Amino acid sequence: MKLKITLLFLLSLITFSVSAQETKTVTGTIRDTRDVPLPGAELKVVDKNEYAVTDFDGNYSLEVAVGDQVRITYLGFQTQTFSITNDDVYDIALQDESSELDEVVVVGYGNQKKSDITGAIVSVDSEEITKQPATSALTSVQGKVAGVNIIANDAPGSTPTVLMRGLGTAEGGRSPLYIVDGQPLSDITSINPNDIESIDFLKGASYANIYGIRAANGVILITTKRGKQGKTIFNFESYYGAKTILNPVKMANADQYIQYFNEESAANGGFLLQQNQRYNTDWYDELLQTGTINNNSFSVSGAGENIDYFLSYNLYQEKGILEDQKYNRGTIRSNNTYHLFNDRLRFVQNLNVAYTNETPKPFGAFSTAYRQSPLVPVRYDNGRFGQSFVNQSTGVVGFTTQPGETLGRLNSHGNPVSQVYYQDQQINTTSLQGQIAAELDITDDLMLTTRFGATKYYATSKSFTDIRDQWLNADPNRTEAFFDAQRVPDEDGVVSTEYANNSYTIRRTESYRWNIESFLTYDKTFDKHNLSATVGISRENYQGGEFTESQAYDVEADPNLRNFNLRTSQLFNDNVTGDTYQSTNLQSYFGRVEYNYDQRYYVRAVLRRDGTSDFATGENNFFGYFPAVSLGWTMTNEAFMEDNGVLDNLKFFAGWGKLGNQAIPFNVQSINRGDGSRNTNYVFGPTQSLIVGSALGTPAVPLSWEVTEEFEAGFDFALFNRKLSGTIDYYNRLNTNAILNVRPLLNSEYANNYFDEAAEISNSGFEFLLNWRDQIGSDFTYNIGVNLSTNKNRVQNVKPAYDGAIGGSLGNGRITKRLSEGEPIFAWWMYEADGVWQTQEEIDNNTSIAGAAPGHLRYVDQNEDGIIDDRDKKHFGSYIPTYNYGINIGANYKNFDLSVSGFGVGGNKVYNGLYNTRIGGENISEEIFNNRWTGPGSTNVHPGADRDVEASSYYLEDGSYFRINNITVGYTVPEITNFINSARLYVTLQNPFMFTKYSGFTPELNQNGDPTNTTGIELSAYPNTRSFIVGANFKL
Amino acid sequence: MKFIYKTLLLSLFSGLVFSSCDDFVEDVDIVDPTAENSDDYLPVEFLTSVYGMHTDFSYAFSYLGITDMISDNSDKGSSPTDTGTDKRALDNLDFTSSSVSVTAMWTQWYKTVGRASQAIEIAQNYEGQTEVPNARVIGEAKFLRALNYFWLVRSFGAIPIQEVDLVERAPVDEVYAYIEQDLLDAIDALPLKSDYSSTDLGRATKGAAQGLLAKVYLYQERWQDAADMANNVITSNQYSLDPDYANIWRETGENGPGSLFEIQARGEIPQHGVQQYSQTQGARGTNGWGWGFNSPSQNLEDAFNAAGDEIRRDATIIFAGETLFDGREVNAGVENPRYSEKAYSSINAGQGDGDKNIRVLRYAEVLLIRAEALNELGQSSAALAPLNQVRTRVSLPAITSTDQGSVRQAIWTERRLELAMEHDRWFDLIRTGQAEAAMAADGKTFVTGKHELFPIPNNQLVQTPEMSQNPGY
Repeated sequence: MKLKITLLFLLSLITFSVSAQETKTVTGTIRDTRDVPLPGAELKVVDKNEYAVTDFDGNYSLEVAVGDQVRITYLGFQTQTFSITNDDVYDIALQDESSELDEVVVVGYGNQKKSDITGAIVSVDSEEITKQPATSALTSVQGKVAGVNIIANDAPGSTPTVLMRGLGTAEGGRSPLYIVDGQPLSDITSINPNDIESIDFLKGASYANIYGIRAANGVILITTKRGKQGKTIFNFESYYGAKTILNPVKMANADQYIQYFNEESAANGGFLLQQNQRYNTDWYDELLQTGTINNNSFSVSGAGENIDYFLSYNLYQEKGILEDQKYNRGTIRSNNTYHLFNDRLRFVQNLNVAYTNETPKPFGAFSTAYRQSPLVPVRYDNGRFGQSFVNQSTGVVGFTTQPGETLGRLNSHGNPVSQVYYQDQQINTTSLQGQIAAELDITDDLMLTTRFGATKYYATSKSFTDIRDQWLNADPNRTEAFFDAQRVPDEDGVVSTEYANNSYTIRRTESYRWNIESFLTYDKTFDKHNLSATVGISRENYQGGEFTESQAYDVEADPNLRNFNLRTSQLFNDNVTGDTYQSTNLQSYFGRVEYNYDQRYYVRAVLRRDGTSDFATGENNFFGYFPAVSLGWTMTNEAFMEDNGVLDNLKFFAGWGKLGNQAIPFNVQSINRGDGSRNTNYVFGPTQSLIVGSALGTPAVPLSWEVTEEFEAGFDFALFNRKLSGTIDYYNRLNTNAILNVRPLLNSEYANNYFDEAAEISNSGFEFLLNWRDQIGSDFTYNIGVNLSTNKNRVQNVKPAYDGAIGGSLGNGRITKRLSEGEPIFAWWMYEADGVWQTQEEIDNNTSIAGAAPGHLRYVDQNEDGIIDDRDKKHFGSYIPTYNYGINIGANYKNFDLSVSGFGVGGNKVYNGLYNTRIGGENISEEIFNNRWTGPGSTNVHPGADRDVEASSYYLEDGSYFRINNITVGYTVPEITNFINSARLYVTLQNPFMFTKYSGFTPELNQNGDPTNTTGIELSAYPNTRSFIVGANFKL
Repeated sequence: MKFIYKTLLLSLFSGLVFSSCDDFVEDVDIVDPTAENSDDYLPVEFLTSVYGMHTDFSYAFSYLGITDMISDNSDKGSSPTDTGTDKRALDNLDFTSSSVSVTAMWTQWYKTVGRASQAIEIAQNYEGQTEVPNARVIGEAKFLRALNYFWLVRSFGAIPIQEVDLVERAPVDEVYAYIEQDLLDAIDALPLKSDYSSTDLGRATKGAAQGLLAKVYLYQERWQDAADMANNVITSNQYSLDPDYANIWRETGENGPGSLFEIQARGEIPQHGVQQYSQTQGARGTNGWGWGFNSPSQNLEDAFNAAGDEIRRDATIIFAGETLFDGREVNAGVENPRYSEKAYSSINAGQGDGDKNIRVLRYAEVLLIRAEALNELGQSSAALAPLNQVRTRVSLPAITSTDQGSVRQAIWTERRLELAMEHDRWFDLIRTGQAEAAMAADGKTFVTGKHELFPIPNNQLVQTPEMSQNPGY
């Protein structure tokens, strides 16, 4: 932008130099908006070698000619330019830099000046977002907003999990509400990050509350770019990057594996492997490749007399680190505003089209690669995929046996390369999102806004399963002849689909949502009273949709011929299923009053009445009220604080509000019923006909939305000419009726889990945000931002029957989490490991778990009853970090710019499920191999090759990490031609370093964020990746 | 003027859109949590799902652990490193109140009881037309409820009666009285096996209820009642012994002449049987078809050999390397030396769903109940007739001694061999007081005063802390 202005000056200079006049001396005083003189401000005559610096009282004198442009620069204030006319005195008031107090913040159904905000709101602008390239803008924001924990997932096209101020709910709606230009959306994967002007995080209840029944997890407001007055701007941005795995784990090699396997097997009386086997497969080498990212964006924006426009196109293409894994996304956006009747009536139109094309590959391959033995080849000599077959009699890995020899398996895992190979799926999605709004200035103080928005989403997934090939490859001894022999109809004319050549499934999903809203805004300033009021009404319909799924067998294998009408046999029937999703209607009324006296005392009150068609509470009342109030005091605007010389801004604020969460599951008394082999059906009669039965699955419990009450208090400050600024606040939020998926009493009649109001969940903590920025000399500026937020998550007032609900299943009959009063939600719960059994004698003389043997972990008998069982398990904190922090550093020297950002969490624990969950015969990491117990006295920390599979604190590791997210070095090319306004070249390193003690792949374990599930447990996570990116940006 | 006109128009539009606002949410038909109307379903459908409960996976794994592997008849099996969750602990008698198998069966039986009670209640309140008389639906449901309560009480002792209180553990006597009442009701309501139409094959019969009640009396040592009730079955002329013992567990022997009650399974598509029952117990390793669990023990093989009982030994045990009746050659290299032949499905070997009916109550057991009850009543010579009927079928010489003690021992041994791998041995050992000695002979330590009962699952106690635990756990 600066360059562009310079260019304008150059042009104007040419114009004026024609009529050059005599010089004269002008004088004046430079002050800020509060009339405080600014010493040291620099004035420069554009394109002349004349300049001046203000004295202690802000006075200056300068030699100029009429028609000259004078530019004033002063750190922390907007650069201002004025023209010399015939006057001789120019007193100028400088405006604070726009990123500070006069910045306008989007707060929902309107804007507010940042200086008037009385709550914890954080804004992130487009520059911050585009600095770190990603498919989702939220990934770029990780670590930049205190109190907002963004858990990234590096899988192509994935959405990060966002937690604002802790996890307050367990089921359904855990994510914040996204509002894009006033239009609610379920996520923002369809939005090109380059199209975003700003993201505002409404963390506190007093602001989020304006979104009532859906605000309990916080609100994220996204504003997209619009055209601006001035020259038409063409913007091109391209980057290209390469992606590799950030933190590979070194696995044991063939010899180490044999050693480990034999130690385990010997302890259990099993067979032993021979030394020196044929293969030494490094599965990660075989599985992983370097991914690539390629992103190209183009936009054009500008404004004419009655219209401003923004049009953009973006194509993002990513190849994942698994073979053939792809994700492509294209977006087209058109945002126009029409200004009519001297700008008293404005029509705003936004349109966004996003389409994606994805070839997913199974993440399960990562854990298979971890577990499968290095002795197994990728493929056998006969071309079949390698499997874990072993001749148990000779101890040689392979699938051949002599008569009387036993063919067994090393383990029960498959071949990760074949897993990736056989997943043949294409997912295409299209999302159409449009909005039209009218803004009418009824009077100068009163404005009416009406908006209508709608989104339509289509997804098609086509998957092809080569049943025959997979069947053959599952066991190299299988023959095609056998398979074909099974494809003969039995007396009922039936062939099992197990022996179909292939199956082809097409699933189509369609969903829609729309919203309409209308609100009046009144703004009036009289004397020192500033009043703003908003009243409005909105209506929304969402979650509606339908899907159909069709499956056929024996279609043509050629991708171009896959078609339900072209079959290679007619042996099998098709399956067609489908369903429609009932949409939800929301009706809301909202009102807000903001008042301040002299920008010193602030009071703000919000009331929202929300109704939802999903739940009726008592007396058939579908509606609930959500009030909020907040107060503020800007101490620095008091007379006694004037000229204090240190504090530029100090504002205290406090707020309270009620928020709802209606994205909770329906509760319906379920009747279990269905076809096929299930426990409601039975066979009777001489021909054993299958009879369908029914059973009541759950009791009937009427539910309502969750209600969260939140209190927050804090202060904003700025010191030393705004070099240091920040916010410190405290929050405390309580979900008063957390709905959990509860298990009926074991001895009660109902079998199915159901949903009930089971507990209260509280989240509290502090948030700190500090920014320092300064300038050294005229060429070097820098800024350092630090943020930290703490979170204490607690479950309280659990209904007795629901206390002790379990979660975190490892899939092997062991669980790792439990819901308990006074603990974080679904806190870790397991045995406490305390050393390793060294000898059988030691086991005999102490309390041990059933099946204990030397080399196994010792568990603490917590209740000292002489046996080790569930009652000896205890809580070990949570996977939820108790604090997270971010550091952002920026510097500019001449045309170079550098930015570094880092992000970290602490106080959390993660579970190494990959290490723990062994049935036997799996591979281990080299570290585990080297550390293992090998005999009495070898180690009292790590178990031996023969160990049990109990979940214990041994596998629970410190999950804290610090990650350098981004290092970017840019160079802005000096003006080359009139044609190119600006050009910047940059190099970015994404996630170059991660500092963690965790021994697995990544402690950033997102899963789907469900606390009852495997969140925080590494079983098959997609590892973090690091990228090297080069890019260029041109503005014309 | 034009501007004002448009202002009005826009305001009017906004107003129209929102007219009659609250209706937008209130007029939507929401899902009422209580409204799903069970009147849409016939009572007999709820009864079907009570039977269906017996096809759950629990019976294919957990059940084997707490009935067979724990006893001297079988070992955990499978590969040495595979603990089968708590199966190794059960086999070694060092399980705890956290045992997943114990928890699974406790839960399974109670959920079945719950479904039976639902079926009874729905049948009692049903006013519509039905083809199946509600009385019979109630009778069948009561039989199934009694069966599950019986399994619960002999495993856990005093237990809550679900329909009475979920926390208070009713004394064993009360539980038995409750079971007895359900069975007496069932006996009244249910038809004889021969009075059912053939399409109802597999349903609970009067004979099944009588046979179960005889067994319930036996467990209470109500010898006269047991003898009489067993006699009711015998004199009903509905049952006889299949002359070929081995045939009973083959497809051709399903619901045979000696079958009082068995869990039905279907091997043809759509398949439906006890989930993975044959698979978990199938041979493991070279050319195997299963997981290799519940491997019959050397101890059991020795018991057959000691009795010279080749017919039942070979019908009960699959030996590594043998050729089965259907021609399948069991590879000599399978991982375990013995597998349960009574769990073997010829057609669906290795499949998750199969045709294997589980024999729950057989005529041979009714004969042995009668024999045992008569012997305990001092009528040892009268006891010999039913006992020898069972022995003769498998070509074993008749017992001639009339000494009460030796007849008692002969009956106990007969029960072991006749009913081996039919999930009864452990409870027989406890009922007859042989457990400690038998376990010692099998190299395990039976703790008297503790191991007679399974622990109340810890997860139950977490939910209902006021419920008491069994001694020793």
